[in-house]
Amino acid sequence: MAKRIVLDLDLCCGCRSCEAACKAAFKGEARIRHGDIVGEAYLPLACKHCKEPLCAAACPVEAITKDEETGLVTRSASLCIGCQSCAFACPFGVIDAPLVRHISQKCNLCSDREDGPRCVAACSSGALQFLSDEEIEKHEIGMRMVSKDLFLRRKA
Amino acid sequence: MNISEPLATTIKKTVCPFCSYACEFGVVFYDFGIKGIEYIKEGSSEGRLCPRGSAAALYLDHPGRLSMPVKNGKPVDWAKIEKELKKVIEKPKSVAVTFDRNITIEEYESIIDFCKKAGIDHIASSYCEPEAFLNPFMEKSFSIDNIDSAQTIVVLGDPFNQAPMLSKALINWKLKDRKNRLVVIDTIGTHTAAFASDFLRCRVGTEPFVLLGLAEEHVENVNIYEMCGISESIIRDVGKSLKAVKNGLIFATLSFGHTYDSLLLIEGLKKLQQFSGKRVVPFVEFAGFEGNQHFGSVLQSAKKRTIKYLINFGELFPYYYPQLLKGLKALNIYATSPIKRNGYTTLPVALNLEKQGSIITTFGKKTLSGAIKPASGAKIISEILTLMKKISGKGQSLQAPDVKIDTRERIGRLAEKISTQRKKKTFTLLGEKIAYNFLGFFEKEAVKMNPLDAAKLGIKPQDTVSMKSKHGLVNLGAKLTTDVGEGVVTVPAETPDTKGLFDFEIDEDVINFIPTEVELWRKE
Repeated sequence: MAKRIVLDLDLCCGCRSCEAACKAAFKGEARIRHGDIVGEAYLPLACKHCKEPLCAAACPVEAITKDEETGLVTRSASLCIGCQSCAFACPFGVIDAPLVRHISQKCNLCSDREDGPRCVAACSSGALQFLSDEEIEKHEIGMRMVSKDLFLRRKA
Repeated sequence: MNISEPLATTIKKTVCPFCSYACEFGVVFYDFGIKGIEYIKEGSSEGRLCPRGSAAALYLDHPGRLSMPVKNGKPVDWAKIEKELKKVIEKPKSVAVTFDRNITIEEYESIIDFCKKAGIDHIASSYCEPEAFLNPFMEKSFSIDNIDSAQTIVVLGDPFNQAPMLSKALINWKLKDRKNRLVVIDTIGTHTAAFASDFLRCRVGTEPFVLLGLAEEHVENVNIYEMCGISESIIRDVGKSLKAVKNGLIFATLSFGHTYDSLLLIEGLKKLQQFSGKRVVPFVEFAGFEGNQHFGSVLQSAKKRTIKYLINFGELFPYYYPQLLKGLKALNIYATSPIKRNGYTTLPVALNLEKQGSIITTFGKKTLSGAIKPASGAKIISEILTLMKKISGKGQSLQAPDVKIDTRERIGRLAEKISTQRKKKTFTLLGEKIAYNFLGFFEKEAVKMNPLDAAKLGIKPQDTVSMKSKHGLVNLGAKLTTDVGEGVVTVPAETPDTKGLFDFEIDEDVINFIPTEVELWRKE
């Protein structure tokens, strides 16, 4: 069953454990990024592994493909020509534009790790979760009363 | 081996050494060395790790990992160092032995035992982080379950960055019941402050006044509320609420160069503890051990040349506090470090991840498994002590002299300092605890400044800014945020470059790094 990384914004404490875990595992190449909302909140931005990935559609050499069974959108390092079309096409801005070894960086949900993505395992506050579509629907992410205070509480 | 077969890996469990939470994790080895970190669900933190823990593997096999002793920048063999150290300890009266972060209880005891046998009288902790002042509150271990039963938690500083593993319990506690009150006291906006029910944002260096106000202490001749910029009614309301609730907690983290008087800050915490009847829980990187004197007196003796040799066990001194060594050029330093650094005689040592023994944490003693072999050439401290002289027996703990402080006099002094600072037109530099980018592993540090100040200086986000204090100059990227007030700038105080900018005071022989005056300009 396809699973995705989901962020429960109510729980994110902005420690960037996810980014550190990703960078440490991929030798300094972070595949999860942090958004900076007018300098007052830091939010992990993980690849959504979209149903119809625009990054794959934009790729001129078909280096990015979607596995229909697992839902995983992967990038082949050997095919990537570093044109950055994927980085511009991604509507969520999660593919980092700077290239590493002339290759764009793309989350593969830590497919080498049985227990799922390292960013989720590392998340110190439990804000990042690895859930299937069914689990996401059941989950009350962003539905708590406190989420009404979100922007107020983020203001210094 | 079939080329298509994955490499065989083994996972060895160990304890993270980087803060008092001491999370369990696994180090993954494959045939060629360390592959990385594995997150172990059975551990006390349920496998979760903060950025420092995730970076632990980078620390273990850092390319600059020291494997041979270094003297004047050149590698020398252990036999030569052994000879030199033996000569040094033949003059015990001119030797000081100090220790800082990442030594175990057993190592500390052997160092003390060694000093006694060798006749070395100057023994001190060289751990100069302000959190070492929280030692008095470390005696009783804390359980994370205590958070659940609290109704009010007062937080001094930014525990989400000091001990990020605390964040899950604290956030869940706050979300569980809207009546639960999280109060944060800080000079700057932080992630912890962003979650607060009440954020008591005080003026630079006035945290002791907020604590004294919460404890309803009567302070003569100083309007502490005006000084800290928070109304008396708000402070009294929070103090009363903490006292009134059945269960409450006071969490304390102290950042480097954040306050002018750490001793008065500790006095404030003690008064609040007495007033409210609620416990102070410290979150620290390392519970500092004590010697028989304070480090300030060691430095003063070195200035007078009574001490000519300093042997430091640990891994921070002297690299982290370069400003302390100005004027002490004649002092001969033997320092231990896992990472290569020039300028002193440096002996390669094992990391806590590579040792057996016990460490003190906020949650009580934890055992290091020593599952990982020290990097080639690195020695554990007991081996170095054996090199210096054969030792045996069980060590005893020492106690540094008590610091008696005159609270009234210090309040007056602090008020004067803050008033003077407010009239100045330069920037005040504060240190900030940032868990991410530990030891500069991931990116260059940045200076946070208020957008209004940046506009006046023509600084835009990402511009490079030069920052100069009387101790040095660094160039950093600019980050504009209203988290810091006008006239204030902050840097993550995690690397020697930024730590080296801060001013310090030696007061009652105790060293305190304080908010520091800096000049700023846009680097062309």
